[in-house]
Amino acid sequence: MTTQAPDGTAAAELGAIRARRRPFSWSRVLRAAGPYLLLAPVAIVIVAVLGYPLYKLVTLSFQQYGLAELIQHKGTWIGLDNYESVLRDRVFWDTLLRTVIFTVANVALTMVLGSLIGLLLAQVSRWVRVLLSTGLVLVWAMPAVVAVQVFYWMTNFESGVLNYVLSQVGLVEAQHNWYATPFSQLAMVTLLIVWGAIPFVAITVYAGLAQVPRELVEAAQIDGAGPVRIFRDVTFPILRPIIFILTSLSIIWDFAVFTQPYLLIGSGQLDPTNYTMGVYVFIEGYLKSDFGRGAAISMLMVLIVAALSVFYVRRMVRDEGTA
Amino acid sequence: MSRRRGRWAWNAVGLTVFVVMFFPVFWMVSTAFKPDAEIDAATPTWFSTSPTLDNFRDAIDPALHPGFWDAFKNSLVIVGATVVLSIGLAFLAAIALAKYRFTGRKLFAVAMIGILMLPAAGLVIPLYVVLARYGLTNQEDPLPRGAITGVVLTFMVFLLPFAIWTLRGFIMGIPRELEEAAMVDGSSRLGAFVRILLPLVAPGLVATSIFVFITAWNEYIFANVILSSQDNHTLTIWLSYFSGTSRNTDWGALMAASTLTAIPVVVFFLLVQRKIAFGLTAGSVKG
Amino acid sequence: MNVRHFVAASLVAVLAVLGVGATGASGGQAADTLTVWLQVDAQSGWPEVVAAANAQFQAANPGWNVDVQYQSWTTHLSKFDATLAGNTAPDVIEMGNTEMTKYMAAGAFQDLSSERASFPNSRTWLAGLAASGRYNGKLYGVPYYAGSRVVTYRKDLFQKAGVKKLPTSLAQYTAIAKKLGAKNKSKAFSPVYIAGTDWYVAMSFVYDFGGQIAVLRNGKWVGTLNQPKALAGLAAFKAFYNAASRASRTTLETRPNPYDVYAKGNAASMLGPAWFSCCVGDKYKAQTAQFVMPSRTKGQPMPGFLGGSDLAVPIGADKAKAAAWIKAFTDNASMTALRAKGNIPNTTSLLGTSVNERAAKRSWFVPTAKHWVNVENGNILRTMLKRILTNQNTIKQAADIASDNIEFTLNQS
Repeated sequence: MTTQAPDGTAAAELGAIRARRRPFSWSRVLRAAGPYLLLAPVAIVIVAVLGYPLYKLVTLSFQQYGLAELIQHKGTWIGLDNYESVLRDRVFWDTLLRTVIFTVANVALTMVLGSLIGLLLAQVSRWVRVLLSTGLVLVWAMPAVVAVQVFYWMTNFESGVLNYVLSQVGLVEAQHNWYATPFSQLAMVTLLIVWGAIPFVAITVYAGLAQVPRELVEAAQIDGAGPVRIFRDVTFPILRPIIFILTSLSIIWDFAVFTQPYLLIGSGQLDPTNYTMGVYVFIEGYLKSDFGRGAAISMLMVLIVAALSVFYVRRMVRDEGTA
Repeated sequence: MSRRRGRWAWNAVGLTVFVVMFFPVFWMVSTAFKPDAEIDAATPTWFSTSPTLDNFRDAIDPALHPGFWDAFKNSLVIVGATVVLSIGLAFLAAIALAKYRFTGRKLFAVAMIGILMLPAAGLVIPLYVVLARYGLTNQEDPLPRGAITGVVLTFMVFLLPFAIWTLRGFIMGIPRELEEAAMVDGSSRLGAFVRILLPLVAPGLVATSIFVFITAWNEYIFANVILSSQDNHTLTIWLSYFSGTSRNTDWGALMAASTLTAIPVVVFFLLVQRKIAFGLTAGSVKG
Repeated sequence: MNVRHFVAASLVAVLAVLGVGATGASGGQAADTLTVWLQVDAQSGWPEVVAAANAQFQAANPGWNVDVQYQSWTTHLSKFDATLAGNTAPDVIEMGNTEMTKYMAAGAFQDLSSERASFPNSRTWLAGLAASGRYNGKLYGVPYYAGSRVVTYRKDLFQKAGVKKLPTSLAQYTAIAKKLGAKNKSKAFSPVYIAGTDWYVAMSFVYDFGGQIAVLRNGKWVGTLNQPKALAGLAAFKAFYNAASRASRTTLETRPNPYDVYAKGNAASMLGPAWFSCCVGDKYKAQTAQFVMPSRTKGQPMPGFLGGSDLAVPIGADKAKAAAWIKAFTDNASMTALRAKGNIPNTTSLLGTSVNERAAKRSWFVPTAKHWVNVENGNILRTMLKRILTNQNTIKQAADIASDNIEFTLNQS
C-alpha cells in the first residue's frame, strides 16, 4: 500500500485502481470494482426497464406502424421512408427553426433570471429567504395543467387580470388579445415556461452557493478582493458544474416541451404556424396514431437536441473537478 | 450600518420578486376560496368578498370526486419510494462519476444525458408493454405491488439521470481543499470517504431530492397509463379527472384540489430546506 | 454500515423489488374478473345504473367480478392504445361515437354481429348512434346514450324584447335575434352566442339545407362542402351569425365556454348541448329554459349533432361475458334511468318529449371515415369558418379549400 498521497483518500484510491504490478488480492479487485459496484444498481434498473423500449423506439422508426399494426403487434419494415417523409415536410423545418429560437429564448431567460434569484436568496435575511424559497417551491409544485389554466385566466382578453391592470395603467387597450398571433402565443408560452422553470434553477444555484465555504470567502476578503473578484475566483468555479448541468437540462427540456404550448395555445388554435417540436411530434405521431413516424421524429429530435447541447455536455464530461 | 442597509435593499428586491413570481399561485389559492359567482364575474377580484370553503368540500367529496384519500396515500408511497431509491442510487453513481476514473466513465455519463434527451411520449407505449410483460401493471388485490412497483421503477428510470448529473455537479463543486482538510485523519476506506462527503454535499442532496419529489409528485403521463384502477391513482391523476368529463369543469373545486395537492410538497420542502442553509452558516471544517 | 454493504443491500433491494413486482401474477387479469372502462360521466351521473348492471351480471355469472375503471375523456384513448399493445385491454370499453371509426378500421374490436338480435332494443336503436358502431356491415359498437343540441335561453330577455312565441323557423329566430340585439347594443352582448369556429353549429346549417361534409363514392371520399346545397347552408350560417352573434369570429366554442358568457349576462341565448343549463349561474337560473333550434323549414328541428357513446368489446376479451354485461347495462331499466338523468336513450321506443329528445329527431353525424379524427385535429373546418366569417375568402373559396383538404385527409391510406 502506498503512503498516503498528500491530496487525500481519493488519490490513494485512484492510485490503487491504476494498474500496478501487485500480487493478486480480492480486496484490490473489490476496490477496483468500486465504481462499477456503485453504478451497478442504476445500470440494472435502467437497462431492465428502458432497454426494450429504447430498442423498440429505434426499430419503430423504420417501420410502418399505425393503430392496426399496434393491435396486431407487427409492423412492416419500410426502411428510411418515415425519415424521408419527415425531412421532406416543410412544416418540420419551419417548426425546427421556430423551436430553436424558442429554446434559446427560454433557456437564456430561465438561466439568467433563475441564477440571479438564486444569488439573491443568499443575500436576503433569513425570513425573506424562507418566504421566497417557499413561494418558489409552490410555483414549482403547481401542476402544469393547473398553471396553464390560471395563466390563461390571467391573460384572458375578456376578463383577465393582466389586461385589467395594464389597461388601468394605460399600457394597452382594454381587451388586448394576447393570443392573436403566433408570436404572441409563443411569447405567452415562454413566459409561462420561464416562470415555472425559474424555481428549479434558483434553488439549485442557491444550494450550490451554500457549498461555498465561508472560510474561503473570508480569506479572499482578507486578501483584499472585492465582491466581483470573489465571485469570479471563489464562487463561480464552484458553481460552474452546476450552471452547466442546469443549462443542458434546460436546453433538453425546453426543446421538447409539450404540455404548456399544447394546453395554453389550445388544440383548436394549434396549427403549423405555431408548432413547437414537442407539439409537432405529438400531433404528427401520436394524435394520428402513426407511431412509426412519431418514432422517427423522436429520433431526429434526440439528434438535434444532442447537437444543441453538445457544447455544455462535452465540457461537463471532460470536467475533472475544480481547478 | 451599511451592511444592514444593504440587507434592507436586498430584502426589498427579494420581496418584489416574491410577489411577482408568487402571483399566479396566489390567484389559484384565492380562487379556491371564491364562490362560483365570483369566479365567473366579469371583473376580477383580488380577494374574495365572501370567502367560502365549499370548493374544498366539493373537491374531496366522495360523491363528486371520489378517491382523494386513497390517491393521497398512493402518491406519498410512490413518491416516497422514488425519492429514497433515486437519491440513494444516484448518489452512489454520482460519486463514481465524479471521483473515479474508470473505463466506460464517459460512456456512462453520456448515456445518462442521452436518456434525458429521450422524448417521453414516444416511450410510453413500449414501456407499458415491457412492464405488462413483467407483471408490473397488475392491479389485483390484495396489494397492488405490481403496478406501484412499475410506476416507481418508471419514475426512477427517468429521474436517475437527472439526479446523477446534478449530484455529480454538486460533488465536483466541493473545493479540493475542503476534502483534503476533512480527510486529514487518514481514512482510506470508501465508507469513511462517503461519510465525509455527505455533509459537504448535503445542500446538493436536498436540492436534488426536492426536484425528484416534485417531478414524481406531478408526473402524469406514465402514472396515468400504468395505474388503471382508481384505487391506485396518484393525486395528480385524481386531479385530472376534474376536467375529464364531457361536461363543464368546476373551476373553484379544481383550484381547491390543486391547492390541496400542493400542500405535501410544501411540507416536504419546509422540512428539508434548513439543510440547504446549513453549509452557509456552519463551518464545514472542524478545527 | 459501510458503503460496500450499502451498495450490496441496494442491489438486493432493487432485485427484490423487481422480483416481488413480477410475482404479482403474470400479465392479465384473473379469469373471473370483467374489466369495464366507462367515462367519469357515469360515475358522477348515474352510478346506480352501473351498480345495478353489475349486480345483474354477477347474479347471472356466479364467481365473476366486475371491475369498473372510470376514465377521463382526454386520456382514455392513449391508455387504450397502451393496453392494446400490452395485451391488457379491458373487456368492455365506452367510446365516443366520433372515436369509433378509427378503432373499428384498425381491428380493435370484436365482431358482435352474431349477437345483435339479443341486445335489448336493437331493432329500434337511434339511427345516428347505431351508424357509429357499424363498419363494413359488421356490428362493433352497441349504442349507449346520446345528447343533442338545443337552444338555452333567457325567458326574461325574450319577454322584454316582446317575443310572445318561441320561434318555429329559422327566419323567426333571426327576427327575434335582431329585436334582442336592438335592446342591448353592447359589443360584449350576443342575442345568440355562437363562437365563430363552432363547426357543430355551422354544419347543422349545412345539413339543414341538404348538404353534407363528405360522401363515399366508389370507395373514395369526396368532399362536398363546395356543392350548392352545402354552400347555401354556409351562407345561411353566416347570415345568422352576423345577425345574432357578437362573439369573436376566430375563437373556439370552448374558449370561452358559452355558459360562462351566458352566466355573465352577455348572451340572451346560446346553442349547445342540453346540459348547458347546469352551468348558467345562480343569477339567471330561474329565467333559463330551452327550446329546439328551428330549421329553415317551419315546424322542423334543425338537425343537431348527435354526440354520444357506444360500448365495444376489444379483441382479447371474453366476448360472451362482455356482451352479457353490455346487455345488462343497456336494458330498458337502465335506459329509463339514463333518460331520467337528462340523456337521450339509445332507442326510439323510449324517446320522450323533452326538448333534448325532440331535437334528436333530426340529427347529423360526421363521415364514418377512418381518418375523420385527423380532419378534426387538423382544424380544417374551423379554419374554413374563420375565413368565411372574417371575409378573408368568399364562401365558395373557403369551401373549396376545405373540401380539398378533407378529401386529401380522408383518402390517406
